[in-house]
Amino acid sequence: MSLLDDARTLLDEARRVWVDTPCSSTLDELAARVDAPLRVAIAGKVKAGKSTLLNALVGERLAPTDEGECTRIVTWYRDGHTYEVRANSSEGDSRQLPFVRDAGAIEVDLDGLDADAIDHLDVTWPSQRLRQMTLIDTPGIGSLSQDASDRAWSFIHPDDDETPADAVLYLMKHLHVGDLEFLETFHDTEVSRPNPVNAIGVLSRADEIGVGRLDAMGSASRIATRYRQDPRVRRLVQTVVPVAGLLAESAATLTEDEYRALAVVADRGPKDIESILLSADRFVQTPDIALTDLEREHLLARFGVFGVRLASTLIRRGAVTNARELSEILVERSGLDELRELLTTLFIDRRDLLKARSVLFAIDRLATDHPVAGSDDLRREIERVLSGAHDFAELRLLSALRAGQIEVKPDLLDEVERMIGSSGAAPRRRLSLDDDTSTEVVRTAALDAIARWRRRAENPLTNHDMRNASQIVIRTCEGLVADAV
Amino acid sequence: MSTTTTTTPAAQRSERADAVRGVVDLGITAATAYGRDDLTARLRSTRETLADRAVHVLVAGEFKQGKSSLVNALVGATVCPVDDDIATAVPTFLRHDDTAHASVVHTDDVDPDVAPDELTGDDIGISDLHRFVTEQRHIDADGVDREAKAVNVWLPRRILSGMVLIDTPGVGGLSSAHSTPTLGALPLADAVVFVTDASQELTQAELDFLRTAHEACDRIVIALTKTDFYPGWRTIRDLNQGHLDAAGLDTRIVPVSAPLRNHAIRSDDRQLNAESGYPGLIRILTDEVIDESASQAQGTAALDVVAVCNQLESQFRSEREALADPERAQAIVEELKETKARTEALRGQAGKWNQTLNDGIADLVADVEHDFRVRVRSMLKEADAAIENSDPADTWTEFEPWLYQRVAADVLVNYTYLRDAATSLSEVVAQHFHDASGGVLDRLSVHNPVPLMSASTVEATVDTDKMGLGASGFTMLRGGYMGVLMMTMMGSMVGIAVGPVALGVGMILGRKTLKEEKARQLATRRAQAKNTIRKYADDVAFHVNKDSRDTLRRVQRQLRDHYATRAEELHRSTSEALAAANTAAKKLESERVGRLKDIDAELGRIDALRDRAVALAPEAG
Repeated sequence: MSLLDDARTLLDEARRVWVDTPCSSTLDELAARVDAPLRVAIAGKVKAGKSTLLNALVGERLAPTDEGECTRIVTWYRDGHTYEVRANSSEGDSRQLPFVRDAGAIEVDLDGLDADAIDHLDVTWPSQRLRQMTLIDTPGIGSLSQDASDRAWSFIHPDDDETPADAVLYLMKHLHVGDLEFLETFHDTEVSRPNPVNAIGVLSRADEIGVGRLDAMGSASRIATRYRQDPRVRRLVQTVVPVAGLLAESAATLTEDEYRALAVVADRGPKDIESILLSADRFVQTPDIALTDLEREHLLARFGVFGVRLASTLIRRGAVTNARELSEILVERSGLDELRELLTTLFIDRRDLLKARSVLFAIDRLATDHPVAGSDDLRREIERVLSGAHDFAELRLLSALRAGQIEVKPDLLDEVERMIGSSGAAPRRRLSLDDDTSTEVVRTAALDAIARWRRRAENPLTNHDMRNASQIVIRTCEGLVADAV
Repeated sequence: MSTTTTTTPAAQRSERADAVRGVVDLGITAATAYGRDDLTARLRSTRETLADRAVHVLVAGEFKQGKSSLVNALVGATVCPVDDDIATAVPTFLRHDDTAHASVVHTDDVDPDVAPDELTGDDIGISDLHRFVTEQRHIDADGVDREAKAVNVWLPRRILSGMVLIDTPGVGGLSSAHSTPTLGALPLADAVVFVTDASQELTQAELDFLRTAHEACDRIVIALTKTDFYPGWRTIRDLNQGHLDAAGLDTRIVPVSAPLRNHAIRSDDRQLNAESGYPGLIRILTDEVIDESASQAQGTAALDVVAVCNQLESQFRSEREALADPERAQAIVEELKETKARTEALRGQAGKWNQTLNDGIADLVADVEHDFRVRVRSMLKEADAAIENSDPADTWTEFEPWLYQRVAADVLVNYTYLRDAATSLSEVVAQHFHDASGGVLDRLSVHNPVPLMSASTVEATVDTDKMGLGASGFTMLRGGYMGVLMMTMMGSMVGIAVGPVALGVGMILGRKTLKEEKARQLATRRAQAKNTIRKYADDVAFHVNKDSRDTLRRVQRQLRDHYATRAEELHRSTSEALAAANTAAKKLESERVGRLKDIDAELGRIDALRDRAVALAPEAG
């Protein structure tokens, strides 16, 4: 029986326990959640580029983006047959709202509703990408609360608790890891909590790190690597990747007109381009270029100095000859491809596990908050599933490793983490084999691993923690062998 | 202040500097001619102070806002390493010299008697700078692991003459351990260039820092960097101005772009240089900061000359009176004898000003210590409450910087308290000195030597002019607390781990058992955390108290020496006047006329010198 089936069974049980109580509507929602796409929230501080990244991931300009703060209400973007925007109040009422699309982005008319009274907006939009996962855009944490000392106490706990999202992307800016502000990135607990199990860190606005130099993404990668290795970051997210959000969004939605305008810039010699793009002001004010002021401002707003520099260089060198090619290469350079890949291996491939986890935590919370006859039995049952299912044992081991609660020799740490699925749940990923290796090779590798880890587990010098960890890895390998037929 | 109006401000300034140097030299010649070696020595030290004065400009700001780029663009050379990832970890002091060279100051070079920015350290090659600036620890030539505290760089750049430029590690939201040295360096600064980039408006943390900085240094300029990269920098600038106005901070925003400046220097492009915004920033630093400080020092020097003239004059004035009116000669001698007795008393240990000073310092030491103890106690209370409400294993990484920042802010406030209290004490001592010298001061003016706060506050309470130790007194107070902050506080807690205790056992136990185990360990961790904080607080209190005591002792010594010297000068002037009056009383009629002529000529010369000095002195407020 799969974990999701376990979750379904428990849900049915829960519906019987809380039948005819106000809780039953919560349970109906949970039941729907089991069969709906995975929910991924995009969190982070104000102006971290959340809406921009959301648009890039969908490949369409949906969320409005602007220089000021513009996302003020939590907004869900999900796939559906119709185009529709609904406002959901905190009391659970739902109401359809009129909207227009302005320069691509959806502009919702609140129709007299008070923004504070709206719990979240629900945007239904037919989209292939949203079919894989529902995206949740958040307003982000305010530009710091008033009193620094108050703020210092509202700490974050990597903890197991119920949250509306199954997984979360934390957008972080380039900051010193010792900064409170850096850690505040993870304070956005409204939709999810940081956890190395279901969170990815995104070093957003990566092009700003090198202040727009062509090698900016290289610097951003180095910083992301350093973050990945920092214990404080490791206990909060699974990994960190750099993404140049603005470039990713614009590349994913590049138009032919924009390509033509960029080609005009590229027509100038390399020296000229350098001097035209010396500063944003210069680019807008240079008179001797065959583009209108509006066109130039548009290019700058869409691609930034970095994007214009990169795109015009690519066109001039002949690396691309049309809008589609430019879009592809810019998407790749922006880091969006890598992020999509990670989303697939870490979230989408494990969606059943993540969804089951969310549902179990939700029922557990319900039992704590609204105990009724039979709810204690239900909690025991949840406890049994959580501690019995091997998948959860893997997640717990990963959390414990990341929190530094288990001492593992550094040279073994990578292998343990990979084995229990930290870089993807697919058997070949766990065994670090190429994607095209044959089943037979996978099987042999898994058997080898079992033998290796058994020796470690049985070695009298191995400490207690490590022996437990080895047992879990062996269990994983046994599963791999069983599947490799 | 200035006499000519036709020339450019720059020419005016250098004219005034020359004129001040001229009157000081004349004063020295005069004092030497009249055999007053005490007054000669005084003016010599005035001249030295005049030559040495360099303003300190602190470049501060959050992590990765482009501080080092700004410093490089200001001096027009790549001195401070700029990297996308690696940040400045050690403060860098840039000064002027005819050849470029550099040195590094290590932790073990620190000498409590030397102001931290005056430590010289070990010479290093300019090309090795990045190694020392970006990493605190390094292995030296003898294979010893050493910790760098500061780096000094000397460059042959015109902008650096009369200015020390200090590049600091990023502040990090005023809440990281990195902010501590920057806060500590604030009292040392004559001006602060606060760096924030145009990617977003000022954050609350940045505003908090600006507010704190404003307490310690009221001249702050905000450099809005990276204007070449962010098309919307004008919006950000206006938003920032709004925030500053709302916070009541009177500071200007100067938008700048380092890449444009560098490009302009490379291609010798004036138009581009103007676009980079740097000429404007440099103008503020040289025209306002450096010149104001220089003009203050010049004013003080001119007043010194006035005071010396007064002393010299007094001895001739009495002689002249005695000569001019032989009937009154005996009366004048009697009067002078009385004055001499009073100056005698002024010199002695029993002088009231001396007692006021000794008692005042003793009280101050106790008060300042008490003030800090109260602060530490309230900090501990807050910290304990926080520890009780959270799990140190989760929160320590956030808690630790908070603690550093909190303590650093406390130290800074404590320092401000000390500074204000010491200032008012010096005023009281000045008053008592003035009262005790009574009539003597009507002839000879004496001034408060330590205008610690600003010229205007002191002027209100003390006689006509001020002079002397002002500048050096300032540095002394500044040096005191900076020592604690920069040299001792950083990393005092390093090595104390409040990390999570192994929970591995619980991993395969059920979640319930795990919870009990967790609760037990949580209690242990909390106790451990509280102990750590107490130990740290004790450590800091020890250093702060020692430093405040040392600083106050220095203030005491300085004030005592100053007034003792002044009393000595008064006494000598009176003695000379008395001797001269005595001789005059016994002189024959024929001798009298000749001597009178001589004296009038001397008085005329002294008067002329004084007039020149008065013209250069700041107008009495």
